[in-house]
Amino acid sequence: MAARAWRGLVPGASIIVAALLAAGCAQGDTKMVAPGLPPSPWISRAVPEARGDVKTLPDGKREAVRYRGWTKQDFGGFRTYAYDDPRPEPPPGKIAMPAGAGDPKKGRSLFLNRNLGPCTGCHLIQGNDVWPAGNVGPDLSTYGNRNLPDEYTFNLIYDPRHVFPNTLMPPWGTTGALKPDDIVHIVAFLKTQKGPLPPEPNPERNPVTRPKPVGFGDNLDPTNNPAVLRAESAEALWARKGPAGKACADCHAGGPRAAMKGVAARYPQYVAGYRRVMAIEDFLTVHSPEATGLPLLAEGADNLDLTMLVKMASNGMPVTLDLARPETAAALARGKLSFYKRVGQRAHACADCHTTAGAKGADKFLGGRLLANVEAGLTRHFPTWRTSQADVWDMRKRMQWCMTPLGMNMLAADAVEYAEIELYLTAFDVGKPMNVPGIRH
Amino acid sequence: MADIGRVRIRIPSSIKPGDIVKARVLVIHPMEIVERKDGKPVDKNYHFINRVIVTYLGKEIAQFETSQSISENPFFSFSFKATEPGQLKVTFLDTHGGKYEGTADVKFA
Amino acid sequence: MEGSMTGRMTRRSVLRALGWLGLSGLALPVLGTPRAALAQGNLANLGPEESVDATMKRLFGGRPIKDGSSVIKIELPLIAENGAVVPVSVEVTTPQTPQSHVKSIYIISDKNRRPLNAKFNLTPAMGQAYVGTNLRLGESTDVRAVAEMSDGSLLMAKREVKVTVGGCGG
Repeated sequence: MAARAWRGLVPGASIIVAALLAAGCAQGDTKMVAPGLPPSPWISRAVPEARGDVKTLPDGKREAVRYRGWTKQDFGGFRTYAYDDPRPEPPPGKIAMPAGAGDPKKGRSLFLNRNLGPCTGCHLIQGNDVWPAGNVGPDLSTYGNRNLPDEYTFNLIYDPRHVFPNTLMPPWGTTGALKPDDIVHIVAFLKTQKGPLPPEPNPERNPVTRPKPVGFGDNLDPTNNPAVLRAESAEALWARKGPAGKACADCHAGGPRAAMKGVAARYPQYVAGYRRVMAIEDFLTVHSPEATGLPLLAEGADNLDLTMLVKMASNGMPVTLDLARPETAAALARGKLSFYKRVGQRAHACADCHTTAGAKGADKFLGGRLLANVEAGLTRHFPTWRTSQADVWDMRKRMQWCMTPLGMNMLAADAVEYAEIELYLTAFDVGKPMNVPGIRH
Repeated sequence: MADIGRVRIRIPSSIKPGDIVKARVLVIHPMEIVERKDGKPVDKNYHFINRVIVTYLGKEIAQFETSQSISENPFFSFSFKATEPGQLKVTFLDTHGGKYEGTADVKFA
Repeated sequence: MEGSMTGRMTRRSVLRALGWLGLSGLALPVLGTPRAALAQGNLANLGPEESVDATMKRLFGGRPIKDGSSVIKIELPLIAENGAVVPVSVEVTTPQTPQSHVKSIYIISDKNRRPLNAKFNLTPAMGQAYVGTNLRLGESTDVRAVAEMSDGSLLMAKREVKVTVGGCGG
């Protein structure tokens, strides 16, 4: 990708440009960039599977390069929160409902299909086999009793934004996630959802009465959290000389726990030397090769383990955020815009699942997962051990993971956009104690 | 997985003679599961811990026979009666001839 | 111990006599010529994929199994966030004495392809019959704990766990 200035490519750029003009800077000056952004797009120093690359196969098809086991599907047709992605949200689409009766059995099967939605991720329906349904959307168990016209239901599923402009529900038809015939079957199925409802066999089936998850116990107990052992193995890395003949220990005396005490509590932060916001993981990708010659590629095991070790040195200390610099304030504002930007084939914003205002999804079940509320402060336990993956995940991999089923291509793990979202999220952790590594599903 | 075989044991810090004490132990290990190709299991020497031996004061007090349906990085907890100060040892044996050990010293407060 | 061991002593017959057939290979003395295919982790030594009824029959034959729910406490989450790590503990509340103690605790997950997760062989030195571990479960299932006492009697208790998944197809 040719190096380009960020100028003019940032959401809300007109506001920033206006501010710069007001400050007496000329728009035509090629050196002027939005405050807090590096002069050119950041070159990723992540492991190959974490760079968000898309490759073209010999037959011309495009294939995304992602982590092992993740889909290779290219979602290039849908917008992301990359700062150089100027595409607007696709406008609400509408087509005439295809003629012909839908098949309720096919519709139910589509409703439960995990490759498509599943619709039960947000909506409860009847049936003891429905496990696990969520309650981000309304309970549709008696939708049929409302006797709404078929066309209304079809249009709602095809693109709910006509009726509910601020809806969380994806525009299934407009973005091609569901085919028109699929939607006809689902409409036929929903009409069968009529009362009276049978007695509920298990309280867990209905997300409203389902107990909340209890978690995985003491995250700092090395007999409970393998990530603690992973972090300890980075102590050897700290002391080991890199290719340039130096070790971290040579400049940072006293061992990692003493030398790094309090450091991570101040991250992510704007790092003037690199002219961008960085989390510990990002900083290691540049600082380590410069100081010791050892590249610590983002999402490599060494980078993750050392990040944990550095962060653990601040465990118990309150997270801080210094917004005095204009670069930091500008970066946080951009991160917030990204957090609220509707992206991907599902047209979801982070805020749709992770805030509560306006009937959004936080503290409700999405399928079997309770959606975390960003206001609780979600950054201070990262990197975290993930039991379902038997691996350590940092915040960036978590974001990359989220983007993928939402139907968009992930950005590089060390992308500035991710760092600025993380900066925005860190605001909710301020004053709360660091607690790394976490342990989650 | 670089740290295969790292073991951590935890026992309570203050123990009185005769206490029945809970020990917790974790070992880093892939606990490889059966692969399937076209729906049929692939035959190979799967790498997992199949035996755990607990010794206390040099005597074996428990032995666990484990399988691939124990989670990766296996965790075990068990009770034992702390009769004398001495060493508690947990030994893990795996299908590739691996042998990993962790010890904890039983001390009376 | 069952029956006589006359006739050809194969590794399998030794395993069966010791009641350990179906479990992962043990470091038993090798009888005959060791063959590469019989490495401990190979399919032949993993035991069969079978129904839980077949497992129960193979492990316990026709021996009576009493309801042990008054003395066996199983801790298991009602809902497991994923099937990879499901914490379980089993405690048998009867005193563990040289005269009468729990000799073995079997943890069995009905819907797993090979239902036996592990067998814990205990001695009176444990002080108390308590074990805990993390299970791998293929799907929502009953998990049962079978306690074999020093006098050979069998007690069983079970609990259901539902394994959950996320809601976004991811």
